[in-house]
Amino acid sequence: MKLYNPDIAKAIEKIKETGAKTICIQLPDGMKPYAQEIHDELVKSTNTKVLIWLGSNFGACDIPLGLPKMNIDLLISWGHNPFHKKMDGW
Amino acid sequence: MDTLFLDAPFTGKVELCTETITYLKTHNITCIGLYASVQFVNNLDTIKSQLAKLNITIISSKADRTHVTSQLLGCDSELNALNLSSSEFNQIQSFLYIGDGRFHPYALVYAQKDLIATDVKPIICNDPISKKHTLTDINIIKSILRKYRASLMKFLVAKTIGVIVTIKPGQEHLKASYRLETKFPDKKFYFFLDDVVSFNQLENFPFIDVWVNTSCPRVGLDDQEKFTKGAINLNDAFMVREVLSKESVLMKI
Repeated sequence: MKLYNPDIAKAIEKIKETGAKTICIQLPDGMKPYAQEIHDELVKSTNTKVLIWLGSNFGACDIPLGLPKMNIDLLISWGHNPFHKKMDGW
Repeated sequence: MDTLFLDAPFTGKVELCTETITYLKTHNITCIGLYASVQFVNNLDTIKSQLAKLNITIISSKADRTHVTSQLLGCDSELNALNLSSSEFNQIQSFLYIGDGRFHPYALVYAQKDLIATDVKPIICNDPISKKHTLTDINIIKSILRKYRASLMKFLVAKTIGVIVTIKPGQEHLKASYRLETKFPDKKFYFFLDDVVSFNQLENFPFIDVWVNTSCPRVGLDDQEKFTKGAINLNDAFMVREVLSKESVLMKI
């Protein structure tokens, strides 16, 4: 955790608040080496199943699709803040 | 499913490096357009006071898709998305971007393709991680914009257009894409769906003269070379005549 503050406390708070049992963590490339540390801390503190998203994380628009089909209750995505869509979709 | 976004702010000092300060002094910069990526944007106080000491006026804005003022996202790469008035833009001598990498500051390069009757502004990048300064000067900006101009011209004369629509949140622009058919009744449009843009599939559709990208706008800008037939973004397709008008910066570079 040298360069960026991962705010693990906020992540733990959200997991407890939502009662999520299975979560997916998504990290930008610069934070992917921290995945083990974040994963282990979340498992230890919340006793949840934590899956790590392997793919890209270019922005808040680039969230993994189809996670509910895999019974993921919560996605925690680092490195971005909420995205304000400019045009209506579809 | 719930989603939580965490900014992951930079934990080090966010300040101007010596090289940036020297550049600002030697180029007599008195007004800058200040932007930063999310890791730095909530910690700009030191930089603002450094700029005040140099008597430099700061202009900034809340771009369309961002969450806070002065934040810069790669996708706010159209001039009107920056929400700067023309008088504010004219006052700015140079942009100052705080952050690392080229992805975010290049939104300011691409936004300048929409300029009318004014010249482009350089972008100073100050990276608080490496404590380094890099400059995207006017010549670099013009050379990037010229490549895109070629695709815009191609679109203007093309008869058969492939429109790529993707399903990521914030994209999904099928409805907006259909409006192209009304705007350009002399062109034939084919609409393609994809998860992400599959560049290696494009050559399987040789009947397409040029592509319109409706996914992340940066795909249509940064990945120009992967579209061998050329590609432009949806917004630019709608505005192509204005963007290529005589007064446009693209026609003067």
